[in-house]
Amino acid sequence: MTPATPVPALWPDRFGDELYRFALSRVSDADVAEELVQETFLSALDGLTTFRAEASERTWLFVILRRKIIDHYRRQARATQVSLDDLSENGAAEADFFTPENGHWTGPQAPASWLNADAALEQQELHEILQRCQERLSPQQGAVFAMRFVEELSAEEICQELGLSSANYWVIVHRAKLQLRRCLEKHGLGKK
Amino acid sequence: MLRLITCQHATLLLEKRADGALPKEQRASLWLHLRYCPYCNRYAKQTVLIAEWARAAAASRAHSAATLSEAAKERMRQRLRATG
Repeated sequence: MTPATPVPALWPDRFGDELYRFALSRVSDADVAEELVQETFLSALDGLTTFRAEASERTWLFVILRRKIIDHYRRQARATQVSLDDLSENGAAEADFFTPENGHWTGPQAPASWLNADAALEQQELHEILQRCQERLSPQQGAVFAMRFVEELSAEEICQELGLSSANYWVIVHRAKLQLRRCLEKHGLGKK
Repeated sequence: MLRLITCQHATLLLEKRADGALPKEQRASLWLHLRYCPYCNRYAKQTVLIAEWARAAAASRAHSAATLSEAAKERMRQRLRATG
């Protein structure tokens, strides 16, 4: 049974690997993942008094780690913030996808059918391609995408974390999706 | 008034729609656009798939076989002892 009082010295052995795998599933860089686990343990130690005996120690540590991961995304997004002017000029970055004159898909960018998307690729392969495509997004787009679609924060929460206006948030999400979609298609999803 | 919208606008509205209800007029414009635009129809399905895959991919990575090195654990134990 889990002891009522947490024993910090045992955390690395009892929970280290599991927390590390979780962190690694989000940040993909092993050193960063390790650092997030270490920060989690130190914050937990710092906040031992907030631990409630009826909660599971493991759940509590995961809550702290998740917060650390969101902080990590925030730093990633803020370090590379795109200027607001750039973001509000809707046309520029999206001219790649849509004809500026009429806003319709430019010929080569029009979505192809993914009819056999699930069948065409092994799930493992699909996940790897998606991860590679996510890594090609700008740091800000990547952070917003992960916060929204992996961590499942609300638009409002993300705007608050990143200091974004709602309009800018939608531009970023839209562009991230357009680019991911294109990247996935280039790497096998659009094949007949 | 039903407003005709572009593909650029329609795909943006699709992202917004996934996050909550659109105002009635935008919903109608999007509906009409999707009736005649096969490409945005595909986009509508694909953008939902991408979101599902992103979640599933992260969840499956969280069940990998990766482990912390013994050295890393030892470093963490030391930090915990030093701070605790």
